[in-house]
Amino acid sequence: MSVPNSMRVGPFCATVLAKKKYLVLYIFLIWISLLPAILEIWWYWQMLWYDIRPLHFYVFLPLYFIVMYITTVFAAIFFAKILLIIVNVFHKPREGVFLRDPADRDYRYWSLRNTIKKWPTWLAHKFPFPFLDNICFKVFGVKTKFSNSLFEGWVDTEYIEFGKNVVVGQGAIIQSSVIIGNFLIIKKTIIEENVRIGAHVIIMPGTHIGKNCILNTWSSTMVGQELEEGWVYNGGPAKKFKKNRFFEDIPIEKLTKTVGDIDGLLKKYDEQYVKRQVKKKIPLKERRIHIRKEKSEEKPEEKTEKKD
Amino acid sequence: MAENIDDENKDSENIDDDSDFNIDFTTSSAINRVSLKFLIVYIPIFWFSGMIVATFWYGYTVGTEPWIIKLLFLPILLLAFMFLFIISCFFFSKLLLIFINLIHLPKEGIFRTEKGDTDFEFWRLRTEIKKIVLWLIRNWPLPWIDVLAFRWFGVSMDFSSHLNDAWCDAEFIKFGNNVTIGQGACIMSSMVVGNYLIIKRITFDDFSLVGGQSTIAPGTHFGKDTVLGAVSVTTLNQKLEDGWIYSGIPARKLKPNQYAEMRRDIIQKVDVDEEEKVEVEHEVNIDEDKKHLFRRKNGGDKK
Repeated sequence: MSVPNSMRVGPFCATVLAKKKYLVLYIFLIWISLLPAILEIWWYWQMLWYDIRPLHFYVFLPLYFIVMYITTVFAAIFFAKILLIIVNVFHKPREGVFLRDPADRDYRYWSLRNTIKKWPTWLAHKFPFPFLDNICFKVFGVKTKFSNSLFEGWVDTEYIEFGKNVVVGQGAIIQSSVIIGNFLIIKKTIIEENVRIGAHVIIMPGTHIGKNCILNTWSSTMVGQELEEGWVYNGGPAKKFKKNRFFEDIPIEKLTKTVGDIDGLLKKYDEQYVKRQVKKKIPLKERRIHIRKEKSEEKPEEKTEKKD
Repeated sequence: MAENIDDENKDSENIDDDSDFNIDFTTSSAINRVSLKFLIVYIPIFWFSGMIVATFWYGYTVGTEPWIIKLLFLPILLLAFMFLFIISCFFFSKLLLIFINLIHLPKEGIFRTEKGDTDFEFWRLRTEIKKIVLWLIRNWPLPWIDVLAFRWFGVSMDFSSHLNDAWCDAEFIKFGNNVTIGQGACIMSSMVVGNYLIIKRITFDDFSLVGGQSTIAPGTHFGKDTVLGAVSVTTLNQKLEDGWIYSGIPARKLKPNQYAEMRRDIIQKVDVDEEEKVEVEHEVNIDEDKKHLFRRKNGGDKK
């Protein structure tokens, strides 16, 4: 239902330490986007307020408040978009790996863009209408359909493409930019049609999710990972769990089966990750031979390189 | 790294056909296909409840008290107006829900997520309507009264249990006494899997506890004194036994719950049948010299 405070993951932009000089732009945006609403209430007052207090002033007031809120959101989006266009003329946003340092131009402009986008996205997300969110995303350059529900999760505001009928679960995080150590990575994430993203899933920048995929809860993807179409994925990093046949016409009796064997299921989950270690287990004697072989193989290569 | 993962993916391709239809994973239950026509419902709810607040505001402005007293009471009045707005939103959305449930009764089962399916359409409409009030109540300074909203919408629970930090569906859930639900937990009595929508009842027995950020799939049953650890996931229709601590993905038994036995109080359970009233009193680990401190319901007759 409604997202609680502890899961408050509305579509804010990624954690950016906003520079103080950027805050001037932020406050300017708040100020200028509230002006149309004030103009509206003045106009409403002029139209409906006579010497005798009229009833219809109070009757239409609550409806007018909704209109005012929506106009503030649209004004915020409009002015933010103009600012973004001006900023993008100075420096075009681009994908890639950048230094996370104030000296780096891409990092600076990335944080500037995010400070500009924050106010309208915050305002749109504070309203229970999900479609305001989608308008906000569309204007800022995320490809979505209005039918997608992105309201429950956290979605970055640039370099993301959504297909039709995408479900983003409660508290899921879809990123196109991430800070790792001293680096900022910006990469385009593409999510195609009919993808069901589970609760608490984390999708890293550069992921490409094919059609008809299901992501299990608590699974996460790697930077630049490609998920093939028509599979159920599980775990972190996400791996193929089984073929997704839930988009076919299935007799409903087959679906009602309960999972009786939880330990078996746990084994199945674990096997995906343990397998790699099991394969590498070699007895000591064989391992020594193996190491000797590797060494003998390495030496001639070095020699040949030197000769060249 | 990426190459290694691809190798293993090839191995997992040969799986039996029967296990393909097993729902042994948990996804989300966010509404897919948000349709704008349902949002028309929002406007009358907001409008009518706003009108009630507006009439009170009219009374406030018309009143002939000195302006200092008016200003003094303005903050508490604003809070009262907010509460009034939420309560009237309750009222109108509940009224709408009753009408909708008369047209189509909500029921458990597996449905298709297609435009023609009436169960799916009405599920979406119901969640859209319920969302407003729950959203409003969780954004105002006293979020604890969301128990009231859940009770009105058909979740049987009382004020002894709380879930104001969790995401919770507002139908087909049954709570016992003193249920605690952690921060960021998702309690989903409905789940979207591929083209199918699964709705099933979740039951919590007395004193059960759900850890933070855990996900609970539809059909889960929590026994008495069960604890589910943080970051754990239950599967469809999983039954958690009484007095055990569960954890992991999927949730499995970790150890027996000793804390339940150590709880030092008297648990009173009243079972009311149609004809007779049966009162059972359990005593758990109470020192002999402290027994007189507890007040009995029947004035200590049972001694």
